[in-house]
Amino acid sequence: MASKIAIAATLVVLAPLACAPARAQAPLSPEEARAIEFGKEIYKVKANCQYCHKWDGSGDTGYGGVALSLRKTALTREQFTEVVKCGRPLKGMPYHDQYAYTDKRCYGMTRDDLGKDMPPMGEYLSKREIEAVVNYLFAKDVGHGESTYQDCVDFWGSETRQCEPMKK
Amino acid sequence: MKNLAYAGALACSLFATTSLTPIALTPVAAGDMTQERALNVAKEPQNWLLHHGNYEGHRFSQLKLINTDTVKNLKPVFSVALGGFESGGRYKHGNLEGTPIVEDGMMYVTDGWGSVYAIDVSSGKKGQIKWKFDPAVDRPWAGDVACCGVNNRGVALWKDKVISISLDGRMFSLNKATGEMDWERKIADPAIAETLTLAPLVIRDLAIVGPAGGEFGIRGWIDATDLNTGKQVWRTYTIPGAGEPGNETWKDGKERWKHGGGSVWETATYDAESDTFYQGVGNAGPDWDPEYRPGDSKWAASVIALSASDGKIKWGYQYTPNDPYDYDEISEHPIINAKVNGEDRKLLLHAARNGFFYALDRTNGSFVLGKQYVDELNWTTGLDPKTGRPLNYNPNTDVQEYSPGSHGSRAKPLSERLCPSHFGGKNWQPSAFNPELKLLYIPSVEGCNQVETVEQKDFADQGGTIKPRERFSGGGQKTTRPLYGSLKAVDPTTGEIKARLKLDYPNWSGALATAGNLVFIGHADGTLSAHDAKSLQEVWSFNVGTGINAPPISYSVNGKQYIAVLVGSRQSPFVQGLVPELKNTSTASMLYVFGL
Repeated sequence: MASKIAIAATLVVLAPLACAPARAQAPLSPEEARAIEFGKEIYKVKANCQYCHKWDGSGDTGYGGVALSLRKTALTREQFTEVVKCGRPLKGMPYHDQYAYTDKRCYGMTRDDLGKDMPPMGEYLSKREIEAVVNYLFAKDVGHGESTYQDCVDFWGSETRQCEPMKK
Repeated sequence: MKNLAYAGALACSLFATTSLTPIALTPVAAGDMTQERALNVAKEPQNWLLHHGNYEGHRFSQLKLINTDTVKNLKPVFSVALGGFESGGRYKHGNLEGTPIVEDGMMYVTDGWGSVYAIDVSSGKKGQIKWKFDPAVDRPWAGDVACCGVNNRGVALWKDKVISISLDGRMFSLNKATGEMDWERKIADPAIAETLTLAPLVIRDLAIVGPAGGEFGIRGWIDATDLNTGKQVWRTYTIPGAGEPGNETWKDGKERWKHGGGSVWETATYDAESDTFYQGVGNAGPDWDPEYRPGDSKWAASVIALSASDGKIKWGYQYTPNDPYDYDEISEHPIINAKVNGEDRKLLLHAARNGFFYALDRTNGSFVLGKQYVDELNWTTGLDPKTGRPLNYNPNTDVQEYSPGSHGSRAKPLSERLCPSHFGGKNWQPSAFNPELKLLYIPSVEGCNQVETVEQKDFADQGGTIKPRERFSGGGQKTTRPLYGSLKAVDPTTGEIKARLKLDYPNWSGALATAGNLVFIGHADGTLSAHDAKSLQEVWSFNVGTGINAPPISYSVNGKQYIAVLVGSRQSPFVQGLVPELKNTSTASMLYVFGL
C-alpha cells in the first residue's frame, strides 16, 4: 500500500514547463468573463486556494506548507482537476470532492486504503465549481509567466493598496 | 447640587435606553482609568480592567458566586452579534481572539478587523451596543501579510479613552463615552509586512505595542506611544542592531539581522516594583532555514525585560537558540513571588511553545527551573539544570543540530516527527494562575507534525530577489495527523504537573481561573467548559455551536457574576481539515455572556 500511496503522491509532481505557450488575447464574452470571475471567487475565498498557493498561483511557503507553483505546473487539465478533487496523500494538498475516497474514484484508493494518510479535507466543491476554478486557473495562471500589476488589480480590485508594490 | 447632578445623571441614564445622541452616551458611573487603578485591580473585582486581568498576567477573577457548587446552574443570559468576519487578503474570514475589557457595566471588545464595540452589559439581560468604531482597514493590504489570521486581541483603557489598534498598523485613542476618535497614529507599516494584533499594554501614559510579521522578513520592535499626544516616546528593536548586545549572535556577516524576525504579538506583563515589563519575542526570520542565520539569533524565541520609562533592555533570556522550529515565544510571562527550595524568589513564568515550562528570576533573567509540560517532546533530551539551555545545544557550532530528524536542513529538507508541533506547546493562548491554589493552568496544543526547509533567498535590499511583503519563512509546516489538546495544572515552584486533562482539540482559547475554584476554557467545537481547579475534571459545559478561539473573562454587575467570551473562530485549515466532525462548522461572530 505504501508504494501505491507513493505513486499517487508522485503522480502529480508539478514540473516546470519548458516554455509558456503563447496565448491569444481574444476578448472574453460576457458569459466567459462571468465564469472566470466565478472561478476566481472560489480560488480566492470559498476554497481559499490562495492561502497556500498565493493569489497569483505562484506557490508559497510558510503556514500553508511548501505549496507548489500552479503557474509552472506541467499537469494537463484532467490531471489538475483530479488533484483538486482528490488532493495529494502525504503532501498536504486537501481534497475538495466530498465523496473522494468513499469509492475508488481517486487514484483507485479508498479511505480504508489510505488510513492515516488521508489528505486533509478542503472546502467541498461541486463538479461545476471544480470546473470553474480549474478554468479560471488555466485562463489566468497556468502556463503564464510572472504575474503583472494588471493581474494583481484584476484579482484584488483597485480600491486597495495591495498592488502598489507591483506598479512600475 | 448633589441631587441635581444625580437627577441629571438619571435622566441621561434613562435617555440612553432609547436614543444614541452623544449626551445619552455619557457614562454615569465610569471613572477615568488611572495608573492607580491599574495597579490595584484587586480592589475592583467586579471589573476586568487589564488584558490579562492584572499586570502580573494571572487571568484570575476573585469573584466566587460561580463556584464548584453553583456552576451547575450557569446558563447563557444573553449574546450579542458582532461583525468583522469579512474576508480579506489571504483569509476567507475573520477570527475572534480578543479579551473583553469590563468597567462598571460597560464592556469593550474588538473584532479581527479592529472594530471596537462598547457594549452596555449593566442590565444583565442583554448587551446593548452603545457605539462601534470601525477603523476601515484596507483588508487585502493588511490581510495578505498577516501570518496567522485576521486578529485583534483587545483594547486598553486610559483616562476617559479606549486605546485600540488595527491590523494595518494604526493605534487609536477613542472617547470612551462616544467612540469618537481623538487621534490615530500609524505605528506599524504593512508596506514592510508589519501588522498589529496585540492589545496595547498601558503603563502610566504610555501604550506599548509591537508588530507581527515574523514570516515576512520584519525586524521586530517594541514601541511606546505617549497617549497624551499620540506621538512616539521610544522604540526598541527586539533584534539588536550593530554594536548592541546580542547582535554578535547573528554570524552570517551579511547583516541578516535586519530581516531577523522577532515579532511581538501578545501583551507583556509588568512589574511595577521595578518598572519593568516582560515581553515575549517571536521566531527568528526565516523560520525554518537556520543555516541562513548562523548563530543564536537573539532575541528571537526569547523573553526580554525592558524599562517602561525608556524602553532599555535590562536582560534577555533565550529559550531555543538558533531555533529551527518556529518556536515563537510571544506569549505571556506571568509574575509571581514564591518560595523555591525554601528560598523567596521573584519569578517570571512561561509555558513555552517549545514544550517546556520555565521559571526565571525576573530580577536578572537567570534560570530557576524548567520542566516538560507537553505529553510528547522530542526535539531535545531536556534542559541544562543550571542554564536551562537545551541539553543538545552545542556552543561550538553556529547552526544547531537538535535531535536528529526533528527539524529540516538544506541537506535533508523535510523533518521527521517534531513534537510538540511547530504550533507548540502553548501558542499565544494565555495561561491562568490561581494565587490561592498556587497553580498555573496551561491550555495547550498536543501532538506532532513536520517542518520543511527551503533555502531562503535574500531580500532585494541585501542583493537578493525577495521584495517587501513577500514570504520570508525558509520553508513551511506540514501537518498530516490530527493534533489534540490538553489542560494542565502546574506547580510553578517545581514544574510538577499536579493535574492533567486531555482535550479532543488543540486549545486556542486560553484560560480563566476564578476564586470559585474553577478554570474556564473554550474549545474548537464551540464548547465552553468549566473545570474543578484542583482535579481539572469538567464540572460544566455549554456548546455555542461554533469554535471558540478567545479567552473567557469574569465580571460582575449589581452583585451578579458573569462569564463572558468571544465566540467565532478561524481554525487552521491544517487542523480543521483533519477533524471530520468539525468540517462543516459555520463561522459566527458573537459575544456570549453566562450567569447563574
